[in-house]
Amino acid sequence: MAIAHEFEYFKPESLEEAVKLKARYGDRARLLAGGTDLIVKINDELESPEAVIDLKGIKEMKRLEFKDGRLFIGPLVTFSELIDSPEVREKFPLFIEAAETVASGSIRNRATLVGNICSAVPSLDSGTPLLTYEAEVIARGEDGERTIPIAEWFVGPKKNALKEGEIVVGVSIPEPPKKHGGCYVKLGRYRGEDLAQVGVGILALEGNEYRVAFCAVGPIASRADKIEKLLQGKKLDNGLIEEAIKLVPEEIAPIDDIRATGEYRMHMAGVMLGRGLRAAVARLNGQGPEYGISVI
Amino acid sequence: MKKMITFTINGELRSVEVEPNDILLHILRDKLGVTSPKIGCERGDCGTCTILLNGKSVRSCLMLAVEADGQEIITVEGLSDDGLTPLQDAFIKHNSFQCGFCAPGMILAATELLEKNPHPTKGEVKEAIAGNLCRCTGYEPIIEAVLDVSSQSN
Amino acid sequence: MSQANQIKGKIMEELKYIGKSFPRIDGKEKVTGAAQYVDDLEYGPNLLHTEIVESTEPFAKIIKIDTSRAEKVPGVVTVITGKDFPYKFGLYMKDRYIMAQDVVRFVGEQVAAVIARDPKTARRAAKLVKVKYEPLTPVFDQMEAIKKNPILIHPDLGEYTHVPWFYPKAKTNIAHWKKVRLGDMEKGFAEADVILEDTYHVPRYAHCCMESHIAVGKLDQADRLTVWSSSQSPHTQRHLFAEALAPLGFTHKDIRVITPFIGGGFGGKAGVTMEILAAAFATKVKGNPVKVRWTRAQEFYNTYMRQAVLSKLKMGAKKDGTITAFEISNYWDAGPYVEYGANVVNASGLSAAGPYRIPNVKIDSLCIYTNLPAAGPYRGFGYSEMMFGVESHMERMAQKLGMDPVEFRKKNAFKGGDLLVYGAPMNANGFDECIDRVAEAIEYGKKAVSEDPNKVIGKGIAGAWKGPAMPPNASSSAFLKFSEDGSINILVSGIDMGQGYLTVMAQIAAEILTVPVEKIRTENPDTDRNAYEWQTVASHVTWSCGNAVKRAALDAREQIFETVHAAYLYDKSTLYLEDECVKCTIDPEFSLPLKDFVIDGIMVKDGTFRGGPILGKGMFMPEFSSTKSDPETSQGGKPNVHYTVGAGGLIIEIDKETGKVKVLKVAEAFDVGKAINPDLVNGQILGGFMQGLATALYEDMRFGENGEILNPNFTDYKIPTALDIPDEIIPIIVEVPQNDGPYGARGIGEHTMIPVMPAIANAVEDALGIRIKSMPITAEKIAMAIKAGVKEVD
Repeated sequence: MAIAHEFEYFKPESLEEAVKLKARYGDRARLLAGGTDLIVKINDELESPEAVIDLKGIKEMKRLEFKDGRLFIGPLVTFSELIDSPEVREKFPLFIEAAETVASGSIRNRATLVGNICSAVPSLDSGTPLLTYEAEVIARGEDGERTIPIAEWFVGPKKNALKEGEIVVGVSIPEPPKKHGGCYVKLGRYRGEDLAQVGVGILALEGNEYRVAFCAVGPIASRADKIEKLLQGKKLDNGLIEEAIKLVPEEIAPIDDIRATGEYRMHMAGVMLGRGLRAAVARLNGQGPEYGISVI
Repeated sequence: MKKMITFTINGELRSVEVEPNDILLHILRDKLGVTSPKIGCERGDCGTCTILLNGKSVRSCLMLAVEADGQEIITVEGLSDDGLTPLQDAFIKHNSFQCGFCAPGMILAATELLEKNPHPTKGEVKEAIAGNLCRCTGYEPIIEAVLDVSSQSN
Repeated sequence: MSQANQIKGKIMEELKYIGKSFPRIDGKEKVTGAAQYVDDLEYGPNLLHTEIVESTEPFAKIIKIDTSRAEKVPGVVTVITGKDFPYKFGLYMKDRYIMAQDVVRFVGEQVAAVIARDPKTARRAAKLVKVKYEPLTPVFDQMEAIKKNPILIHPDLGEYTHVPWFYPKAKTNIAHWKKVRLGDMEKGFAEADVILEDTYHVPRYAHCCMESHIAVGKLDQADRLTVWSSSQSPHTQRHLFAEALAPLGFTHKDIRVITPFIGGGFGGKAGVTMEILAAAFATKVKGNPVKVRWTRAQEFYNTYMRQAVLSKLKMGAKKDGTITAFEISNYWDAGPYVEYGANVVNASGLSAAGPYRIPNVKIDSLCIYTNLPAAGPYRGFGYSEMMFGVESHMERMAQKLGMDPVEFRKKNAFKGGDLLVYGAPMNANGFDECIDRVAEAIEYGKKAVSEDPNKVIGKGIAGAWKGPAMPPNASSSAFLKFSEDGSINILVSGIDMGQGYLTVMAQIAAEILTVPVEKIRTENPDTDRNAYEWQTVASHVTWSCGNAVKRAALDAREQIFETVHAAYLYDKSTLYLEDECVKCTIDPEFSLPLKDFVIDGIMVKDGTFRGGPILGKGMFMPEFSSTKSDPETSQGGKPNVHYTVGAGGLIIEIDKETGKVKVLKVAEAFDVGKAINPDLVNGQILGGFMQGLATALYEDMRFGENGEILNPNFTDYKIPTALDIPDEIIPIIVEVPQNDGPYGARGIGEHTMIPVMPAIANAVEDALGIRIKSMPITAEKIAMAIKAGVKEVD
């Protein structure tokens, strides 16, 4: 099916130029990086931008770099590039485990992390690792640059904290202060590509410190504060896991849709939390299943 | 507003006039006569439109044609200068297709894998072709073909 | 025996091409991108594009269609509405117009079409067509539709034209009611020690061919209509186009249907669906080809998806395992147009008691109109659907009797010569061998325990059968012609939708004519040039067209011998073929290569020639088949030419917390009579199993309140990926010859999908003790059942 909607196409070669264009068009322009989400939306007529600003002419947006204890991911960095980076794999294994569940290889060759968080769907796979690694989003507008903690980034289903005219110029992720193990558990309807019906991202850091986040079970991906508070400082055992699972209904509000019922999502969130916690702690201790092997 | 774009397709530099809202898949098929990338779902779910863009498999249904300007594209028509690649031979030997509609995309996805990882495990093969749907074969013959090529290469 | 006959006999015994796994003759085309599908052909710069305006209402009167704004858009050539073509069409039941007339009966029904110079203009203009509806009350559930005083979806049903073996009930929503009555039900149940009664439900499913439906129509200036279509049925399409467009003056000779490679069929491209639009639209834009290509969403809505069925089963059996009575009511949700789907109900109705010898049987198979999208044939033609209930029920009955389910099935299975429920004899078959070998392959009966405490392992088994559903006189024919180098073109009109038909036909000709397979091309259909084929459906072309090709090859061989006889005067009975040469039993020195004369003939002493181009022809029609039977009992006639039987078994591992099912091992065995190409048969087993597994575990079509499909895409209608295949799959070929098949072959294709749903349900019960009576068995369904602690799920 041909796209009937007409738009202007721009391919700026500098960030400044892009910012200017975005300021000129505001919400009437959409930014194009990998396009795996945007093209579908335009084709389905869910989006009808007047202008499409292709960022792929801006070299600095391709930056993927680990420096001074932080990982910087530019808007053009694809999921495949992240997965293929030995440094990211070594320092942020949870992030890789989640990235590998995004769609399929040839989508990941185009789709970008920044694009993923900008679309801000509740089921986004990159949400829980970014939340648990406590990433920051760097945005640039005509008034300059600002940093948005990832916890404040997701503001509603398909809504992010960008202001009109702003462009994301990168995501910055601090290396966790201590040795850690992680686990991303994703519920799909089968092993093949699917959108998460529940996603749980867990980081277990040395010294019984835990970070837990959920996606696809509420309007936005978010940290589970009550569960984290319960776990903090405690050694993981079956009893503690049971207690944590009991708190799940206080943390999430899953809905019924064609992919799963809220009831199943709630049930699975508990199962996944339990298995994810065990795997994360085991991985911290050099045991447990290899990253990439699903625990469900 | 029409725009002239130029890119390498199967080793040949070609230019074509496109509109911003033209999809690459349609331009390849309708304007350039490169018909091995197929129209399957037009939303990135099925992989029949797979091409190699600068050596990486991508969905040509999810690309604007203007995005191809200056890039290098390979489709199965251009995989080999003479004869078949070992993978294409293995596809025939193992009956790795039935209706054949997914075969071009499947072969490209597997070609990308073997370039990057000449000796994949069965799990890695499955993962590499998981984005390419096949309704006929049940996938096993496709996986066998890829592993066969792998076992015969050094 | 004469020397000649001895030599010939020896050659006949040693099959050189039959039973061998030759690579597919379409292989190189398909791996290089050379294979052309309808959308890959060039139609020239005056090709027109279509955008369809579809109904947004499930059931409504069309009050007004305003096309004026769309017509004014530059680039729009014409806008068409149903009133442009007030003609009905249909294969078995003419209940459908080319486009909606005064009433729409499902969301997605074609109401208008914009034809434009380019697809973007067509899409833009289609949005400007305004349709005003007066909604009627729809009915989406087949059981609602047959309640007293229903809303009638087709008030004029009583006046519709249909084949003589359909029994529509006027002033109801029952489009066809197939009845089978055998024996005395009261007596049968009275004799039973155990009676089991339950209800099973199988929902709708979609074929999901990778290539969506597409057709291009062109009416040239001389009034010749050509349609290029992705179809399983080019000749049937020509026939139905000629019938439907007869008011415009078209006859069969004016219409040509060309079918290049097709990207999957699975029954979805049988008969005529959207192709009629391309044929009809072409008549409005003379001189311009017009393309109609379905989007993936339209592919879900506007072809024939699979019908849903609700099966009410009551079975009685004696303690010794003899089934005494089986009462079956299958209620089919067929959608608002059943021109093909009613035959699914008919055919599966005849066989709804399964491959079992039961003295007292009552079957009611009802084809019911609803306001969901039109449904019809899909791999298995009703058997995939109704055998879920039958084989679930068989398993449970065996348990109630305390019998081994394999022994229970074998005890009751039809043997060759047994009379079927409608009185015709069953063909010789290897059902027992199939189920035994499957049971052996999965070590059925031996309990397996998972290493993971969260997981349990179960084994399930199911039998399967299916006969080709076709009119009694469905026929195939073949032309076979030589070229100067002795290579062959076979001109037939079956479709290789992936099963390997082209290759199998070449093997059959190769066997007779001793010409290597790689020197034979089997051509895709063109109704102007190739010989007639009814349709490539019913898993019948290997059998039916195989017979036609064999006869064409024998005809060519006879001409070859005639030519040699005319030139060399050897008695024809002394001639035989070997390695592409004619040889003679009484003259060992004589060896004449085919290439020396199959076009040019043979020069004799005086310089004149004998013979000429060799052109074989062959035809096959089953002259023993009949649908003449008593409408109240179905007794009499021989509606099925044969049955292919088989069995499937599998081992699954279920995670008790998540409900996820992993298939560890599968075995499927089918009695194919003779595997002409064993690798291709195995391909059918692997692919058909996977398609069945998808319906059992993953595919889950959802409808909204308005009867709209909520997941008409692969994002949410989950067909399996390479990551979802079983760890191990064992295809088993059983060969009990079919006496009227080519080299003993009978059909195999659809069958491999049939045992999967019940085998999964049986394995789930084996693992968990939970009987699930509806499809699909999703992880969610299992997990929620475990959580709720129930033993049965409706």
